[in-house]
Parts: sequence; structure tokens; C-alpha cells
Amino acid sequence: MPDKLIERGVVIVNRLGLHARAAAKLVRAAGAFRSVIRIERTDGGGSADAKSILSVLMLAASRGTELKITAEGADAVQAIDAVCTLIEDGFGED
Amino acid sequence: MSAKRKNVRGERRWQGVGVSDGAAVGRVLRVHGGAQENVYRATLEAADVRREVRRFHAALRLSRRQLVAVKRRAEQLLGTEHAYIFDAHLLMLEDRKLIDDVEEYIRGERANAEWAVRVVADRLLAVYADIKDDYLRERGSDVEDVMRRLLVALGGEASPHRLSHDAVLVAEELLPSAVADLDFSHVRAVVSDAGGWTSHTAIIARGLGIPAVVGVRDLYRHARTGDEIAIDAATGEVVLRPSTETVERFRANASVGSQTAVAAAATVDKDARAPLLTSDGIEIVLRANVELPAEYEGVRRFGARGVGLYRSEFLFSQSGEMPSEDEQFEAYVELANVAGDDGARVRLFDLGGDKLPGGSSEIERNPALGLRAIRLCLRREDVLRTQTRAVLRAAAHGRLSLVLPMVSDVSDVRRARRIIEEERARLGSEGKEIGEIEIGEIEIGAMIEVPAAVIVADRLAREVDFFSLGTNDLVQYTLAVDRGNDEVAEWFRTLHPAVLQSISRVLSAATDAGIPAVICGEMAGTPAYAVVLAGLGARDLSMTASAIPRVRRALAGIDVAGAQDVARECLECACADEAEEIVRVRFTERWPSLFPPKTLPARKAEGYNFKRVDETAPSQS
Repeated sequence: MPDKLIERGVVIVNRLGLHARAAAKLVRAAGAFRSVIRIERTDGGGSADAKSILSVLMLAASRGTELKITAEGADAVQAIDAVCTLIEDGFGED
Repeated sequence: MSAKRKNVRGERRWQGVGVSDGAAVGRVLRVHGGAQENVYRATLEAADVRREVRRFHAALRLSRRQLVAVKRRAEQLLGTEHAYIFDAHLLMLEDRKLIDDVEEYIRGERANAEWAVRVVADRLLAVYADIKDDYLRERGSDVEDVMRRLLVALGGEASPHRLSHDAVLVAEELLPSAVADLDFSHVRAVVSDAGGWTSHTAIIARGLGIPAVVGVRDLYRHARTGDEIAIDAATGEVVLRPSTETVERFRANASVGSQTAVAAAATVDKDARAPLLTSDGIEIVLRANVELPAEYEGVRRFGARGVGLYRSEFLFSQSGEMPSEDEQFEAYVELANVAGDDGARVRLFDLGGDKLPGGSSEIERNPALGLRAIRLCLRREDVLRTQTRAVLRAAAHGRLSLVLPMVSDVSDVRRARRIIEEERARLGSEGKEIGEIEIGEIEIGAMIEVPAAVIVADRLAREVDFFSLGTNDLVQYTLAVDRGNDEVAEWFRTLHPAVLQSISRVLSAATDAGIPAVICGEMAGTPAYAVVLAGLGARDLSMTASAIPRVRRALAGIDVAGAQDVARECLECACADEAEEIVRVRFTERWPSLFPPKTLPARKAEGYNFKRVDETAPSQS
């Protein structure tokens, strides 16, 4: 079965953006899946491996930043759901 | 420059800000930074490269084990909301990007692991330094923290656990990891270049009852691990490589400190729970000011009668996230348990607007006079309602009351009361529906800390159940002096007649209305000032728990009638200098054994120079 590549757009909604705690949550969530998950700033400001906290932090995604999430692999659908839900819920912060 | 060289081995003095009590003499232990400066570049033989990669992995594992332990300690010491940062640190250690980059550098350059880690870290830090968002950019400090840990691990040192018994920590600023890392039973004192009264360094040091001086500019650069150092938190003095005379002087102060705090704590269990009576038989209640879970132990140990002031804003984690109702509920239940029958007074979030999620990002020109404390709670009703609900629910499990910070108008109280009542009613109806919400009784008090509240204290007294006098802010607002600003430190005068008259007026208003008044603030924790407060009519004082034994000792030895005479004289004074002189002279006459000269306010000429004294002065002139 060929691996699926799917993508979805999300916006950072929590006040502090992708700071250390939020990034830690995101990386932990992404790490639970086998798919390759990438996060890209739609403004061309760079992209990151969702399983690397250092590269996620480097996105410097503050509130309002638009991101494109892509996932590729057998569990891509579940992976993208988990990551996008976390971001859309503001990491449960505010 | 030549002056500096000449004095390399001589005594050097600094003046910082003392943020706890006591004095200590010990040996410098520089925290963090040592490894960073000693990184060297070595070129490996091709055959050694694989071994070097293995060494890097061993260091990763050691760092990981340390961090897991640190995280656990931090959860206990600081609370879970502050420990999350170590989860991010753990993820950094597992980060493929970091591991791959370092390995690649070791292999490609045949470099030693230390050098590879430093190079990779510097590249990462350069990227972070370019981030525009202030908050996100600061995450660079987390990367730095993790890298330093790795470098120390590569050196094979378990540095934090090798503390000598007379360690005095010297740091630019104590990072949260260092705070949680250290076995503080071996630490005699803490000194840092940066930091203020509310820095982590200060809060932890006060919680543990060890001397701490912060804002000691440039000390870190000059101090070397192993250097002898003397510090006095009462005066903010720090002396590196002190002369024999200096050591003697600080040791004398240190023994006074240990008598009052540590040794007194040993005898506390028996006596401390007994009511405190002055020599003429008047009872005075001493309570604890509390902020961190680390301070809870001191409440019981030092015999506090409950918690007179709980600074709830600490529930906001460092990232400024708003604590949820349930998180707050749990924290308040724990607080109520610690406080016991005497109860705890929870001050509503005393914050500026910039600290609140969803708050305005506009910089206020004058934040001390801006949208903060009760004003912010009334503007951001959601925040007030959440906190109120959590306190009301927790009050079903213990004795809690609410304190409204920075009240300046009776309508502040009325508006807050209305919202609190609404939440009580709402909790009641929710409880009927699901049948499991308990609501406790709470009293509502006003923090009296701005001159307007002092002037209308009689009217406020009719609308609240108690007063809390916050002397730190009262002095600041009454005298229009920023206590954090060194330039105006000489105008910050606790015994200014305007301050004393304000306190006297508020205490009378409370007495007339038949409500209690508790005085919280540094003033209450300073024995000489506590006696003046008793003379002004105060019978209920709240202070850092570790200050309780010495305040207790002072108050047990004085007569309130005598204190009243002194207070009356002070109230009549024309200026702070005169009031301080009265205290010096009268206390020495009346209670010479209780108040040796150095426990009394210093004469202005010697005591109010907050500048660094003379960095390059020779040891003896």
C-alpha cells in the first residue's frame, strides 16, 4: 500500500505561540506516529520536522502565524488530525 | 586597568540588594558557565572518532538521567507548572537534529565532542537570536542551558552534587535547572549578578532561609570557584577574598543570623506554637507570607499562625499561562491544608496587564499606576471569576479568605463583591444540577497600599471584613519612590513620618469599625520595625516565614507600652532621619540586649549608598 501524503492548513491561536511548552506538546504528539510530519510557514519563513523540538522552536511561530502541516506514511490521517487539533486548540492554554 | 591588576589578590567589595536574611562566609562555587569557557578544540586520530561519538552518546544519557531527576525535584520544589520546561529540555536532548549535527561534526571535522557540541549550539543560538518575537527568542536560553549540561556531562562531572559544605553559589542568574539541581542543604548563600526581589534566586533563598544578595553587577566574571567570599544579606554587602577582619565581622553577623533563624527553628516546635505575648502581656499574632510550594514547610517549622498573605500570581507559570479553575482549586486546597485552622488569605492576582493571556500588548507608560491588580481583575472579569470560583470551592476544604489588591476606591470593593457573589450563586445552582460542588464561606479583605485607600480607610472598613496593609507598596506609593530603582533608594524610607501616620490611621479605622488588620510586607519581618508597628497598634503581622523566630524574640522581649511611647515620638518627627534617630536612641535605652546597633536602621550617611562601594579599594587603608 503506497504511503499517503496529506496536508492541511492551521493558524497558531494561543497567545504565546509555539513556545517551549507548546512545542514540547507538539513534538510529543508527533512522536507517537510513524509518519513523517512537517510543519511549514506559509509565508515562506521556513519549515520544520515536527518531531524535532529545536527545529519547531526555530519556526518562531507566534500567534496568527499560518502553517501548512504535511504528513506522509501509513498513519498520516491520524497524525495530521492529532497535530492540527493540538494547534487549533491552542495547546490547551488559553 | 592598572588599579585592577594591582588588586588582583586583595579584598574586593560589591554592593547588591539583599533579598533574604543572614550572613555567611564560604567558598565560591560558580554555577554554569565554567564549562563554556573551557571548551577546547582537539583534532582526533581517525581511529578515535567512533569512540568520541560513543562518548557523546554517554553524555546524552547522563544528561538525560540528570534531567529526569531535576524535573522531579522541580515538581516538588516549584510546582508542576514550572517543571514543564524540563520536558522541553529532555526533548532537546533527544532531538535528531541536534544529535545528527553533532555526530556529523565530530566525524567530518574529527573534532572532540565538546567542541562539536559548542559549535552546533552556537549555530542554533545564532538562529534563535534573530527571532523577532521577544518571548520565543528567549527560548535560546533553554538551548544554552541544555548545551551547558551536556558539556558538563562530557567532562564527566556530576557538578551539582560535588558541593563542599561551605558553598556560596555565584551565578550570573540562577537558571531554574540549577535551582532544582542543587542539594541546597549544602549551600550557605547565593549571590547573582542579575535578579531582583521576585527572581527565582530570591524566592528560593527566602523559602529555604539562606542568605541571598542579587544585582551584584559583574561579580560572576571576577569570582573563581574556591575563592573565599563573605556576604551579608541584611546590608547587601559582598566581599570577595575578604581580609581576616572582614571575615570576623561577617562571621559575627552570620552567628546572629543562625541564632535567629536556624537555631531558633530547632527550639521552635516546643515554644513557637504558644501564643506570643509581649512582656506586658499583649498578644501579637505572627503569620507567614507565602508564594512558592517550597515555602510551605517553613509555615509549620517557624510556627506561623497560618498564612497572612498568599501571593497567588505565582500560579502563573513562567510562560504566563493562565492557570485553570481546577489547577487553582488544587493549589488553594493544598494551601488551606498547610495553613490549618488559622487559615490563609489569598490575594487576587496582583499582576500588570502585560502578564495576562489575551492582555493588551501595548506598553503602559507607567505600569505601577496602570491597569493592574484589582483594576485588571475588574477589567478582565473572566480571570476574576475563574479565580473566585476556585477559591470558593477550595474554601469548602479549609479556611480561606480573599484579599483585593491595590484598592483605591470603595467602588473597587463593591464591584468585586458583586462578581464574587454572582459566582457563589452560580456555583450553588451548578451544584444543585450535578450535586457535587461544595462552596465554602470566605471573608473579603482590602489590601491597603495606596494613599487614597489610607485616606478613605474609615469608609473602606465598613465594606470589607478585614484590612491587609501592604507596607512595601504603601511606602512606594506614599513616598512616590520606586523601590527597584537604585537611583532613588535614599528616598525609600520605611520610617518616614508620612508612612507611619498612614499606618496609624489605617489601624485606627480598622479598630473603629471592629475589623482585624494584618500588616504584611518586609517591614513586619524586620524586628525593629515590627516593634514600631506594635507601638502604632498592630497586633497581627505577616512575614517571610524564616523571619518569624527573630521577630518573635524581639516582640516577646519588649513592652507594648514602651513601643507606644517610641511610636508616638516617631509620629511627631519632621522627617525620616529624625524618626530613625529616635528608634536608634530609644531602642538602645530601653532594650539594649535585644537591639544591638546593627539591628537598628543605619545612619543615612553609611547605610544608603546603594552603588557598588569601591570595587578596586585596597584591602586595608
